[in-house]
Amino acid sequence: MSESLPAPPSSAPASAPAGVIHDIGYRHYDGPRLSRGHATLALTVHSLRGVFGLGRTVRAKIIPFALFGIMMLPAVVSIAMMAMLKERGMAYSQYTVIMQAIPAIFLASQSPYTVAPDLRFRVLPLYLSRPVTIRDYVSAKLAAMTAALFLLLAVPLTVLFVGELVVDMPGPAQTSEYLASLAGAAGHAVLLAALGVAIASFTPRRGLGVAAVIAFYLLSSGVSGALVGMMESVGDDAAAAWAWLISPFFVVDAAIHVGVFGLDPAADSYPGGFGVAAAILIMLGLIALSVTALILRYRKAASR
Amino acid sequence: MTILATDELSRSFPRVTALDRLTISVGPGVTGLVGANGAGKSTLIKILLGLLEPSGGNAQVLGMDVRTRGAEIRRVVGYMPEHDCLPPDLSATEFTVHMARMSGLPRTAARERAADVLRHVGLYEERYRVMGGYSTGMKQRVKLAQALVHDPQAVFLDEPTNGLDPQGRDEMLALIRRIGAEFGISVLVTSHLLGELERICDHVVVIDGGRLLRSSAIAEFTQATETVTVEVEEGQEALASRLAERGESVTADGRTLLVRVRAPETYDALRDAVADLDLCLIRLEQGRRRIEDVFKEPADV
Repeated sequence: MSESLPAPPSSAPASAPAGVIHDIGYRHYDGPRLSRGHATLALTVHSLRGVFGLGRTVRAKIIPFALFGIMMLPAVVSIAMMAMLKERGMAYSQYTVIMQAIPAIFLASQSPYTVAPDLRFRVLPLYLSRPVTIRDYVSAKLAAMTAALFLLLAVPLTVLFVGELVVDMPGPAQTSEYLASLAGAAGHAVLLAALGVAIASFTPRRGLGVAAVIAFYLLSSGVSGALVGMMESVGDDAAAAWAWLISPFFVVDAAIHVGVFGLDPAADSYPGGFGVAAAILIMLGLIALSVTALILRYRKAASR
Repeated sequence: MTILATDELSRSFPRVTALDRLTISVGPGVTGLVGANGAGKSTLIKILLGLLEPSGGNAQVLGMDVRTRGAEIRRVVGYMPEHDCLPPDLSATEFTVHMARMSGLPRTAARERAADVLRHVGLYEERYRVMGGYSTGMKQRVKLAQALVHDPQAVFLDEPTNGLDPQGRDEMLALIRRIGAEFGISVLVTSHLLGELERICDHVVVIDGGRLLRSSAIAEFTQATETVTVEVEEGQEALASRLAERGESVTADGRTLLVRVRAPETYDALRDAVADLDLCLIRLEQGRRRIEDVFKEPADV
């Protein structure tokens, strides 16, 4: 099988063998074959790029980057305020909670992308016919969505902090607040990614996934807000403090910013004492529940 | 060397028994796995990949037990599923590179292998376009490419000719033959059509209802049956009588004559007879029994 295709005469004279493509037949691969961990990491990076629309069409890049831009606006405005008025804008720890609609839309629009196409176009069997396991697959998808959300939340905070250092505000820099807010961003990213990917994984249709995640966000924050309002109107502030914890954004704020780092709450108040432990438990419980649901979902999908 | 072997392998689902004490052994080369829809072909492949736990019995792939060493098996085996499995918004190159990395190839090696293997399956400029616009034939080629991209020792191809037109079918079969013969990769290929496997397989396994019907080398199936079929434009009777004069046994079969081959001289007699009578020869072919005929006979023939 040594057939050779001569190149077009214009590109190479007959005397130049460099212009000839030789079919050298099938070549075996004897290079390294890396571990499952490397494959999982490659899948994570592939999914993370996909979340931001990299390697996809221009249309797929619009939503994630537009949301990213909106998320940056308060940081830019705050830096401008610090530079011109010597006045702080948004507090680090409250940034995510105040802007919560943006990460929620980001989660709803992008988390179905990480899981739905593999189910809909039945790519999953190809992954599972390779060394990666269901656990590896699920952790790669969760890691990708978590990393995407963390970037969305942490980049504006970091820009704001760099801005603060450059502007050189009077008084000490709020380094500990910044670091605490990064921890909060990580907490938000993990919880939201787990919830979003788990909900999205139950339907192979992306549109339905988007609707389901946004419905979950609206329902949880709506119920939380309504209960808070109701309890405050009857003067039951303790119950109102508990009602905040129904929203996934406030529960992370209560667990990490307020509970672990002792910063000011973004809501009016959270339940004290036992309430801190409860907030941390709710957060961890929701993450565990979502991951379990994901694993069970994929066990079932794989056996088909 | 045994590529795969099963021993009393069974798998039952809540409502059906997909495999029923199946014992087969497959060597290198191209092996056809034939059975009607629902005969247990896909179940067998899933068990061999270690994705489905057998209910009973044992199975080994390349000497590795499917129950305990599934991950190792999947590292050195390729799988082409029967169904569509291509995301429409990626190009064939991106997809194949990604699948190579999922098999553990480093980035550069994955790119080189993907380019190589896409060329071998016959995808050229179109490999940079997104796969959403591909024809069925092109999709089947990408599915085959992703099964070969990590240079496996064996590939399991589930109904690779499904949905292809006759020309695409021929090209796919030729490609599978090349994989087995030239690339040195053992192939297990399923089909519900015996006729197409006849052309490319070294060995054929036939299962039905999860049970083994027959497992034999292809030569046993389609050995020459010592007859030659002759078709002439006109003068069939004259030819028949001329051959009978020369001591050949001839039977008429519609527009053709079946001539028994006693010895190589029969071919000479046939040639001379046609030439002497100045007949217009349309067809002259060795009578082969087709695989289908074999399966109409009892399995112990």
